[in-house]
Amino acid sequence: MAEKRKYKKRYCKYCEAKVDFIDYKDAKALRFSLSERYKIMPRRLTGNCKRHQDMISVVIKRARAAALVPYTVTRKAVVTAPFENLR
Amino acid sequence: MRNYENLVIVKPTLTAEEIQASIKAIEEIITSNGGEIAATSPMGMRKLAYPIEKNERGYYHVIYSSIAPSAISEIERRFRINEDLLRFVTIKYDTNREKVAFNNMVEKAKKLAEEPKDQTPVTETPVAEAPTQTPTVETEDPVATETASE
Repeated sequence: MAEKRKYKKRYCKYCEAKVDFIDYKDAKALRFSLSERYKIMPRRLTGNCKRHQDMISVVIKRARAAALVPYTVTRKAVVTAPFENLR
Repeated sequence: MRNYENLVIVKPTLTAEEIQASIKAIEEIITSNGGEIAATSPMGMRKLAYPIEKNERGYYHVIYSSIAPSAISEIERRFRINEDLLRFVTIKYDTNREKVAFNNMVEKAKKLAEEPKDQTPVTETPVAEAPTQTPTVETEDPVATETASE
């Protein structure tokens, strides 16, 4: 529920910033569109537009392949270090 | 010729010299297959998001280059044979928007490579020495300001 409230205003933050290209090596920038368990956040919660959501999903999958962002997080990892390596 | 970006993760168990040697070998693979390296940017030793081959850390290195599309399969085949590499990611920059971003990243990497050239030999030495050197720089600065004020 807390997450829903966090994303109450619905507008695309990437459109507002006029982002044309997202670099997958910049893992900090991807944090906005990742959940606590490093899942890709759905559009209905983040308010991203379709175009930017498509870009982000591709970029996050690239970052996962490059071991910059984890694929999955076990319960232990969630408790000990949420977003530790991205800071 | 197309613009490509090769991200390479080298094993952390190697020494600093061996890592540099293997990176040179990797760049040679690209150049020998007709690629032109535009810029390189070392991201350095990083913690991996998940262990690869039981390694928790890895040395990241990015190579921006323009390569003929037909040579990519041969380059990737050579990367797979190389046992120093934990992982490699090859990304194509083809559309106009991506090309602009590619050129921006190349320029950034070139600038970074030019500016801290004096520092690169320092970073090649073991990481433990880096924190000891930073305080000396801090102590030097107040001395300089004091002399200036006097």
